[in-house]
Amino acid sequence: MARQRYHDGLALRQALPGRFLPFLVGSMAFLAALALAGGIAAHSLSQRWTHGAGAVTTVQVPGPTDPATITAAMGQMPATRIDAVLATIAATPGITDTHRLSDAELRALLAPWIEQTGDPSLPLPAVIELHTAPGQDAAASLLPRLQAQAPGVLMEHDSVWSDRLAALAGSLQACAGLAVLVVMTVAVCVVMAATRAGLLTRRQAIGLIHALGATDSYISARFATRVGLLALWGGVWGSVLALPMLLALSHLAAPFTAMGDAPATTPDWRDVHAWSALLPSALLWMLVIVPPAAGLTGWATTQLTVRAWLRRLP
Amino acid sequence: MFRLHDVSYAYGGSQTGVAALSHVSLDVAQGEFRWLLGPSGAGKSSLLSILSLEVQASSGMVEILGVPVRQARRAGLARLRRRIGAVKQDFGLLPDMSVFDNVALPLRLQHRAEAEIAHEVHAIMKWVGLEHRLDALPPQLSGGEQQRVAIARAVIYRPALLVADEPTNALDERQAGRLMRMFHRLAELGTTIVVATHNDAIVAKYPAPTIELLHGHLVRDHG
Repeated sequence: MARQRYHDGLALRQALPGRFLPFLVGSMAFLAALALAGGIAAHSLSQRWTHGAGAVTTVQVPGPTDPATITAAMGQMPATRIDAVLATIAATPGITDTHRLSDAELRALLAPWIEQTGDPSLPLPAVIELHTAPGQDAAASLLPRLQAQAPGVLMEHDSVWSDRLAALAGSLQACAGLAVLVVMTVAVCVVMAATRAGLLTRRQAIGLIHALGATDSYISARFATRVGLLALWGGVWGSVLALPMLLALSHLAAPFTAMGDAPATTPDWRDVHAWSALLPSALLWMLVIVPPAAGLTGWATTQLTVRAWLRRLP
Repeated sequence: MFRLHDVSYAYGGSQTGVAALSHVSLDVAQGEFRWLLGPSGAGKSSLLSILSLEVQASSGMVEILGVPVRQARRAGLARLRRRIGAVKQDFGLLPDMSVFDNVALPLRLQHRAEAEIAHEVHAIMKWVGLEHRLDALPPQLSGGEQQRVAIARAVIYRPALLVADEPTNALDERQAGRLMRMFHRLAELGTTIVVATHNDAIVAKYPAPTIELLHGHLVRDHG
């Protein structure tokens, strides 16, 4: 008869079966991955709205080549209105980037209206896009100075909307963080319950090997290693199952996120590169980190649970 | 060796529990063999439980193999337990482990090599006459066989202190005689041994200093 060998009598495969815990931890990892993905997406949107197109201020300068009004700040240097405006903008702190639309860009932008008038020689204003640093309100103080040198200058800025959207994104991130916290708490409770059940199943063996000189750290390490590996396995499955859902969501959300330049069509299912390009690198890293985080959480929770339980032994 | 000074023990706590031992003081040297005698309920099992570190005395000083038990840390107590062998009345065998694995357990906890473990287990099981039952599970053995397995596990790592609670009550006279000769041989090699028994015949056949308890009190030491 083949001798069934238990190394030390704990028989952890009986105490902690290999299906129940990975299934539960995998479910938790799946939910955590979705919540984290929501948080990362909210952060991405927030960044885009704060730093990207959403934070652009547009300056219109009618009659850009007309002479500017001479001010004391400019001295006696003669200048056109557009030169005066660009010089003032360049000297304003808090503006991170300036882009004057070229004639071609402007005509492309205004093409529907220009075609309606039927007059391609219609005089166009100069248009300048400004990007301001987050939290800076440079545009508000800029307008009076620009109008002093070039009367009729118009300024439109979307910071009010971008600030509101950034606040919305912030609250979404907080919700995602809270969801991850709840999922982790439930996972810890599940691991604690499974470990306690395992301890009760093998309490006779634990009492015996304790009496034979096994240390608390030995027994807790044996349980923690088993639970840690099961939780890691569950975390792997959670991440794997979350991947297609995150790919689908990323594909749907592409026009609204930093991946807005991604192709709107669904990539061929065999094209791994095209699919992986859909996911931001932060999401990919998150999917990689979830399994070891699940394993580590299971390991640490089991260590604490077993050590606390062993305290009842002399 | 061990020393007990004014040791008391009560089941269920020192204040409200049932007193099992009262103000017991003992000093047993290395390599001594002692019978532990007394009627049922005298406190013999409680004394053996204190000596095998299964329970802590409610009060008093316990020093085992030079280690003051109350001051020792948990890891220190674990190390001390590896030097103490115990044979319990209920044998304490794990029913889902083979005889081989039950006997090998103390050596595995000491991280001995598997080849050495196999050699030691075969040797001790041959000595107790059960080398043909290595693959059996404890529930498949008779009471006497289970007792021999428990004895084999208690002595396989040559403990410095061996405590045995009625180790001969399921053995026939020949096996009991072999066991007593082994205990005396172990004592000659330096193991301190305390054996609790009700078997007057075997005490008479193998005379040795005694510890006698009555209602939790020490009534005879070394008499």
